[in-house]
Amino acid sequence: MKIKSGYLLREVAGSFVVVPVGEETLDFSGVITLNESGAQLWKKLEKGMSKDDVVKEMLSEYDAPEDVIRKDVDEFIEKLTGADLLE
Amino acid sequence: MHKLRVAQLNVEIDYKYETMTKQSEAYKCDFEKPDIVVSASDEAIEKMHEEYPHLSLNDCEYMLTGFIFYNKLLQYDGFMLHSSTVVLNNEAYMFSAPSGTGKSTHTQLWLKEFGDKAYILNDDKPAIRFFNDGIYAYGTPWSGKTDQNVNKKVPVKAIIFIERSENNHIEKMGATETLKMLLYQGFRSRGKTGTENFLDMSEKIVNKIGVYKLGCNISREAVLTVYNEINGGKLK
Repeated sequence: MKIKSGYLLREVAGSFVVVPVGEETLDFSGVITLNESGAQLWKKLEKGMSKDDVVKEMLSEYDAPEDVIRKDVDEFIEKLTGADLLE
Repeated sequence: MHKLRVAQLNVEIDYKYETMTKQSEAYKCDFEKPDIVVSASDEAIEKMHEEYPHLSLNDCEYMLTGFIFYNKLLQYDGFMLHSSTVVLNNEAYMFSAPSGTGKSTHTQLWLKEFGDKAYILNDDKPAIRFFNDGIYAYGTPWSGKTDQNVNKKVPVKAIIFIERSENNHIEKMGATETLKMLLYQGFRSRGKTGTENFLDMSEKIVNKIGVYKLGCNISREAVLTVYNEINGGKLK
């Protein structure tokens, strides 16, 4: 599972924003804002990690039960899929 | 090649049509070495004219040269904010919104209210540049459909994003919304470096400049709502 190329994630003034760069900007002029855990998820998916590995890493980084994290990861992936951001 | 000084940068530029010839007059300046070279070729201008036949060659030259200049400005700690910028007491109030909202209509009301103390710095596409001693707005030859621009450098007092509304109301804009609005109304390149520079500058705006959200109608009260909020004033 991997996020399409052509997007830049940056922390700006305490907010996490994703903006398109390169050719992508031609058909997408918007901006995505993420919270801190959303930004962490984005970074992992940008690297092409599998869903199970993402969940495993999030478990070690966040103090939350596995079923909660798995549900959050599922929702995040669903949103990315809806926005056509995954390869 | 013509030589202009725009936003404290030496600009070597090619143009031949009416609008650029007229708008550039106040920016002419001699220098040895250019910072920025703006060259819109005849082919590029003609190609744009073919794609957008409702735009004349003159319009295409004007838009393309502006596009090239503002693209390169991103390498010099600067960017263009789509706004009608009015100056009052040597401070710039930048009113930004999508085309057709009524930016210029609003800043014209400022001229009416404050008379000689106010003027339009750039009616549509001012430059902003960031220095250690402050953030400045500049008139440039590119000011949209109107010829309202003045070759001056003015400290930025506030950036105000406008929406139409029956009643006048103004509030401070939060960091996330400010970023979104700057990305919509600011000009950034499609490249990674230009985008990163743009985001760095956006962060400086969030940290150093008052940014507001204004809902306004067309009235004197709209002007006073903004002025009083930003200056803690009590004009009536």
